[in-house]
Amino acid sequence: MKIVRAILAAAVLYFFYAGSAAAVRIEISAPGEQTIPLAITSLLPMGAVQAGVAEEFQQVLGNDLDLSGLFDLVDPEAFLGDAQKLTLHSTQVDFGQWRMLGAEVLIKGGYRFEAGKLTVELRLYDVISRRLLTGRRYIGTPADVRRIAHTFADQILLSLTGESGPFNSRIAYISKRTGRKELYLMDVDGHQRLRLTDHRSIVLNPDFSPTRKELIFTSYDKGNPDLYRKEIYTGRESRLSLKPGLNIGGRYSPDGREVALTLSKDKNSEIYLLGTDGTIHRRLTNHYGIDVDPSWSPDGHKIAFVSDRRGNPNIFIVDIHTLEVNRLTYEGKYNATPAWSPKKDRIVFARLEGSEFNLFSIRSDGSDERQLTFGPGSKEHPRWSPDGRFLIYSLDRGGEKSIWIMRADGTGARKISTKGGHDTHPAWSARW
Amino acid sequence: MQKLNLTRLVVMLFVLTLLVAGCAKKPVVEETAVTEQPIQEQVLQQQPAVIEEQPVDEAAAEAARAAARIAAAEAAADKALSGLMRIYFDFDQYVLTDAAKQQLAMNAGLLKAAPTVNVQIEGHCDERGSDEYNLALGEKRALATSSYLVSLGVSAGRVSIISYGEEIPLDPAKTEAAWAKNRRAEFNARR
Repeated sequence: MKIVRAILAAAVLYFFYAGSAAAVRIEISAPGEQTIPLAITSLLPMGAVQAGVAEEFQQVLGNDLDLSGLFDLVDPEAFLGDAQKLTLHSTQVDFGQWRMLGAEVLIKGGYRFEAGKLTVELRLYDVISRRLLTGRRYIGTPADVRRIAHTFADQILLSLTGESGPFNSRIAYISKRTGRKELYLMDVDGHQRLRLTDHRSIVLNPDFSPTRKELIFTSYDKGNPDLYRKEIYTGRESRLSLKPGLNIGGRYSPDGREVALTLSKDKNSEIYLLGTDGTIHRRLTNHYGIDVDPSWSPDGHKIAFVSDRRGNPNIFIVDIHTLEVNRLTYEGKYNATPAWSPKKDRIVFARLEGSEFNLFSIRSDGSDERQLTFGPGSKEHPRWSPDGRFLIYSLDRGGEKSIWIMRADGTGARKISTKGGHDTHPAWSARW
Repeated sequence: MQKLNLTRLVVMLFVLTLLVAGCAKKPVVEETAVTEQPIQEQVLQQQPAVIEEQPVDEAAAEAARAAARIAAAEAAADKALSGLMRIYFDFDQYVLTDAAKQQLAMNAGLLKAAPTVNVQIEGHCDERGSDEYNLALGEKRALATSSYLVSLGVSAGRVSIISYGEEIPLDPAKTEAAWAKNRRAEFNARR
């Protein structure tokens, strides 16, 4: 009897606890629908003051969280005394102060430099329930401040929405900084740029492996547009497909086991599936028209692509098992570069009107088409963040080509590439 | 005048020959007794020195002719290298226009006259349109161009193709005139 009562008590306790945990999880998956008032306090030194650390951390974290569109930042000017106190335990925080300022969640933290190591303690508190939502200690080198801020931003999104953020990942893109188109890598906020190729030819259209630190891209290095594979950390590079004619638009399947691409070895562009050893697994299209630009559905069973088989370029979907082809877009005269969301039933594409592209999104059954970008300049090459919250694309405006990030609904657009780079064709990695 | 003198000389010589021949025909009857032992002629000594035989051919002339042929081929090749003119396409089209076909007929003539020249046809697009689609479109343009040259008698083995899509514009401006210039097939001739 005693045992039964104990079990019952434990069960009640468990449900109570689980219930309260569910209550703090705020249901927001689509950005912009609901915002949470958030206070980000400055990192406080837990030892000697190190100039610049708190500022850089604040700037990176604030930028990520602002881009997320999930938060309303409480003005630091209004902060009261508790902001100056290092409170790494919920019992130490004066939640009343924060409640007065209207904050519902609060970030506090401190840093310490010791023997060349940087330690950052971070806490995310729920002001209403006076509880710790997530606590993290990061240990790295002094150069890891940005990385720590991005990682904690991802952690905050995970804690509040159940889905991690995409901020600790990488963007691959093509830049003409050297005068030739080469492959580059950068952080999601445009920092830590790194050139990966030195082909001095034409490098095009990268895609990340979802499972390995590896990229595929097309290059004219050996005179023909061949598909290359490059390991990012070793720099090792090889040709994955070198059929006569085009070997372009390579896209890894969601499980990373196959690559969809366009080949024109039979004098006409068709979509094929390759194994990661470069052998052809399957031909997916068979039409004398142009078939290019494959993009995988999240379940890996379908591929959206561009074809002019009905006249103008439009987006079609092929089932990779039955090879049945269905047309997706009917509006407009020129629809191209589909990108299927990794999370939702949405396909983003670029529509040419006059001489400029704008980005649209549509459900995979062809319903609910929405325009995402407006205004001057041509917006092309849309790609999704791994969590499906954001889109990255290139903008060609006023003689400059730059890379931009926005939320999936088209809000919050911001430039992440630096001036004068002629940067295009971004691709978003999986979580790093 | 000189030619006349020469003719006269030849005629005179001919006449003279006839006269001498006429004299020789007079029969000589008297026979002398044949000596039993003919005089040994010193044949050996009179034998001429070993005959020197030299081949006579026209190597120099042949070489000259070959050089002339090469020079002609070079000239034809030069003409093809410098004379092959690019052709233009309409927006999002790879069908050859009449103007393009006329230019291709001239290009085919130059190529047929210069059999040592191979040509790589580059297909190009204007910047409007998606990059991947334009790579495929540029290839279609190069293929249409190549097939037309072959139909005009240029050997297929001499023609290859490549597409650069919108990667190498002739004119980077964003104007109708620039775009029209960029939608093209180029002829990259190599000896």
